[in-house]
Amino acid sequence: MTSWRIAGDIGGTFTDLVLSDPDGRCQAVAKVLTTPQQPSEGLITGIEQLLESSGIDRDAVEHVLHGTTLITNALIERRGARTALVTTRGFRDVLHIGRELRYDLYDLDIVMPEPLVPRRWCFEVEARVLADGTVREPLLDEEIDRLVDALTADGIESVGICLLHGYRWQDHEHSLAARLQARAPELDITTSAQVLPQIGEFDRASTTVANAYVRPILRRYLDQLSTALATLTPNADLQLVLSTGRVAPAAVASEVPIRLVESGPAGGVLAGQATAAAVGGRHALTFDMGGTTAKACYVVDHEPRLTDRFEVARVRRFARGSGLPIQVPTVELIEIGAGGGSIAAVDELRLLRVGPRSAGSDPGPACYGRGGDQPTVTDADLVLGHLAADRFLGGELVLDTDRARAALAALPTGDGTPETAAAAVRRVVDEQMAAAARMHAVEQGLDPTRFTLVATGGAGPVHACSIARILGIPRVLSPGRAGVASAHGFLGAPAGFDVARSAPTPLTELTVDAVTALLDELEEEARSRVGASSGGRRVVEAELRFRGQGGTVTVAVPDEVHHDPASALSEALEAEYRRLYGRVPVGVTPEVLTWRLSYLDTPPPNLPMRGLSGSHRSERPAWFEEADGFVPTPVVPRQDAEGDGPMIIEERETTFVVPPGARVKRHAGEVLEVLL
Amino acid sequence: MSLPPGKLEVLWSRLVAAADEQAAALIRTSFTPIVRDSGDLSAAIFDDRGWMVAQAVTGTPGHINSLAASMRHFLDRFPQPAPDDVLITNEPWLSSGQLNDFTIVTPVFAGTRLLGYVGSTCHAIDIGGRGLSADASEVYEEGLRVLPTRLYTADGPNQQLLDLIEANVRMPRLVLGDLHAQVVGNQVGARAVQALVEEFELPDLRELADQVVERSEEAMRAAIDALPDGSYHSEVTTDGIGEEPVHVRCEIRVEGSHLTVDYAGSSAQSDRGINVVLNYTAAYTTYGLKCALAPHVPHNEGTFRPLTVTAPEGSIVNARFPAAVAARHVVGQFLPFAVMEALAPVAPHARMAQGSGNVWLTTIRGTRQEADPDDGEAEFVTVFFASGGTGARPSRDGLSSTSFPSGIATTPVEVIEATSPVVVEEKSLRAGSGGDGERRGGLGQRIRVSVRTDEPWRISCLADRLHHPAPGLDGGGAGAPGGFHLSDGRVADPKLTTTVAADGSVTLDLPGGGGIGDPADRDPDLRRRDELDGFA
Repeated sequence: MTSWRIAGDIGGTFTDLVLSDPDGRCQAVAKVLTTPQQPSEGLITGIEQLLESSGIDRDAVEHVLHGTTLITNALIERRGARTALVTTRGFRDVLHIGRELRYDLYDLDIVMPEPLVPRRWCFEVEARVLADGTVREPLLDEEIDRLVDALTADGIESVGICLLHGYRWQDHEHSLAARLQARAPELDITTSAQVLPQIGEFDRASTTVANAYVRPILRRYLDQLSTALATLTPNADLQLVLSTGRVAPAAVASEVPIRLVESGPAGGVLAGQATAAAVGGRHALTFDMGGTTAKACYVVDHEPRLTDRFEVARVRRFARGSGLPIQVPTVELIEIGAGGGSIAAVDELRLLRVGPRSAGSDPGPACYGRGGDQPTVTDADLVLGHLAADRFLGGELVLDTDRARAALAALPTGDGTPETAAAAVRRVVDEQMAAAARMHAVEQGLDPTRFTLVATGGAGPVHACSIARILGIPRVLSPGRAGVASAHGFLGAPAGFDVARSAPTPLTELTVDAVTALLDELEEEARSRVGASSGGRRVVEAELRFRGQGGTVTVAVPDEVHHDPASALSEALEAEYRRLYGRVPVGVTPEVLTWRLSYLDTPPPNLPMRGLSGSHRSERPAWFEEADGFVPTPVVPRQDAEGDGPMIIEERETTFVVPPGARVKRHAGEVLEVLL
Repeated sequence: MSLPPGKLEVLWSRLVAAADEQAAALIRTSFTPIVRDSGDLSAAIFDDRGWMVAQAVTGTPGHINSLAASMRHFLDRFPQPAPDDVLITNEPWLSSGQLNDFTIVTPVFAGTRLLGYVGSTCHAIDIGGRGLSADASEVYEEGLRVLPTRLYTADGPNQQLLDLIEANVRMPRLVLGDLHAQVVGNQVGARAVQALVEEFELPDLRELADQVVERSEEAMRAAIDALPDGSYHSEVTTDGIGEEPVHVRCEIRVEGSHLTVDYAGSSAQSDRGINVVLNYTAAYTTYGLKCALAPHVPHNEGTFRPLTVTAPEGSIVNARFPAAVAARHVVGQFLPFAVMEALAPVAPHARMAQGSGNVWLTTIRGTRQEADPDDGEAEFVTVFFASGGTGARPSRDGLSSTSFPSGIATTPVEVIEATSPVVVEEKSLRAGSGGDGERRGGLGQRIRVSVRTDEPWRISCLADRLHHPAPGLDGGGAGAPGGFHLSDGRVADPKLTTTVAADGSVTLDLPGGGGIGDPADRDPDLRRRDELDGFA
């Protein structure tokens, strides 16, 4: 791909934009306020700014790609369309019955997430298929009539259809959708087969109605945006960034908008991946720490790890199971309730806890001097000398060290000095983040020591080296311009689409012809969604298990599958199983449950961005675990950072803290590499 | 142990993570929905004295301290374990109160130095005998009983024991597969303990355990100390078996920082399998106490120290060997209600109307129309869980069809139907089944099942509250009672196995939760919403 491209990330507060030339070099950056009422307005303003500041011809822009929090926000704020669910007779309560499980075993006052569709708009049809495909009750025309009347009477805009066993036996869903659409052309219709052809009626119904709920909104938005872009960048095609970090044409995104739900964070992960790749790192742990949350993602062989277990709009932050399940492929983010604003407190066990409560930006940490008096991570970082009181956000906000010290001294831990308390806060929060990353690695059978940690976000580079040391990670990277990382990451996103199909079969019953035909079919399906040129590649994975097991093991499908599928896959399964769990059970039948195929175009070139140059140099005492106390630490601008730690690299958007015993190396594009 | 501030937090969180990793590995490698979807398992880390120091938070309070208690019995019998030993038992009085729960313990070594133990308890899908019903009158009828013994040694698996299990259970592949999953999970936990000890250069877990236990005990004592000294009472009545209801009488004595729960005066043990061993009584009692007093204090040796749970031997909550115990949860899961009701006057956090109570466990057995293509078996057994409504809370309605006090998820209908010939005809909320009140109880649900078969099939359902619905609190109404209806109109006790004609069906009506407060005080907006959505 050799063309001028624009990437835009519409976030909650700011819309970030980056313009890159045909070689993948960033030529202009813009940051404008997000316009929540008409999100396209902010984006358009930003594009105009980019064109103006770079002076390039608008006709030269061939791609506009963008990610958005529009979908997530609509789900969190419940601003979606009037949506109904249609399901099989006897199962209208599938959303309201759910898993029957509380996400907290001990909270008597627990609140469960409210389904997106109220019970009054959950409808049933008689059509019933059994698990083996036997049609027990056909789909009748009079039911369609009755249904259309009911939907119209309630003013329903969008419908999710999720019939029992529709993951495999899709005829009823297709037929119901077609006949509904014929009778009610203005109705927006999503089938579960289209969104998530996987077994498990609650998760599938939840995902289906979520897609239905947001689709009219995304369609309206994309219509507006396309109209505006037709004059602004007439030669550009519009692409959207999916939660997988791949881009797809706008038409595909508007069919399955639920696949955009994590597009913003996916951009951050891609930026981390690109940074690691630029200095030769195949495996990266991207680490983004902001004001209230830290997010990490493992990137293996340049590919972010994906999951299809995701949930949105959690009733309780960071509590698994307290949100609405959305099972679409998504970068697998490890989210921790730990950020600069996270509050430290001592619990009933006299143990220090940090987060998930956060002082946010208002009142903010004690040192902001805006009325907050509870000690936070930022207060600890300030007292430990990692942050400078007079150069936070480029000096826009002067931090109040006395308030930070007072808040920390009030913590009943250690010897009562602010320094001791701050060191304890630091240990606890760093361990918490490392623990989450380690737990994840254990579950996935990954070895963190083989990864490169890439730090972004305001607080990420402050804590990155400590976390890397805990995890045994030998190398930490800090890219320039972390503030527009997501938008920049989008520029490196390959066109691609991921499809999956459940087809449980014992490995011994697989035939070469059947496997080849299935994979070709999946490839065709994915390729048609990518809409891009040929020259892409396909990546095939299979979810395997021993028959009867619930969990599956995902393996890369080797080429030998086209010669001897049974032994190729069972060898792969056994090897992976042994790696994860040590022993392989005997006397059990291996089977394939689901095939996953990704069709990926070559990623476009995307070079690291240059940092903003600064000139401030100084020295201050900073605390390090390695030194067991404070040591004099030089403060340098990015372009001069080189040599042995300790060292602090101070920038407008963040501060990179390098401990004693580490070595700093500066790469092209001003990526800083720290070897621990 | 003198540690810089923040360090104990780090070590403790590693211990908890080790138990979580262990549980996660067990769930992922398990062969049965009851474990992987319903979470009927527990995992814990012990020091070399057998003190439990960390337990994973999983779905079942029934294992809370029963796993810890079983550890003592293993130590008694195997005081000097060897590397590569793996120990096993399912003896109800030594572990968690029914034969289907296997407890497996793996000693953890660094070289030849014993660091501690990891253990897990996990529900086996079958253990022979009469299946999971209240049918039996002695434990001998309920299946295979394995006293604490070695499952593995340095020489490999105890093949004789495995053969014996294989020969005595239905679906032996799944049962043995899950035992394997437990062993694998323990290994993952053991590796995490070894890594912790190595990284922080600890001789073993003892000093860390002392800190964990001391702090937890102290926090539990502080919570008890906050209650006024005195004696508090309650009584809960459930259906029991046949015409004989079960009464649970509960007295809670608070003396300073110590709390005793005494079940004197409760019904005598039953001649059917609804009896509870004291371990299980203690587990659900502790669960209720923790919800009411100290939800955030973790489970370990220290947490239990300020608590005493007693019940007269030979009573329904402290049954004497060889009582039948398979369906013990139909009594045990009502104990938190007794505890919370007794404490309600002094612990405002414990105020909550009673709910549907025990999770309903349905077992269906029969013959397929065609043998399973994979293993050639025509016989099938399917087990699934379902829950009724929970009781109303002072500030909120109860939760509809949600498991409480257990934390057991239901199995998706599509999975039940894909793995067995059972057809679920309906699974819907029962309108109006929540007790009325300022806050209403959660709704129960209706589940109707049939089987694709040419032969009669058998069903048992560990149901309750058919005759004793969940009472309301402070003027709130009772929840709707449960029901068990055969399509041919016969009346049967759901807890006992019933045979159904090939073309018959069975309807399970799960009970609703009780309401709180005067119904006249209910917010009219909530009433309108309930009407629109058909909840009332």
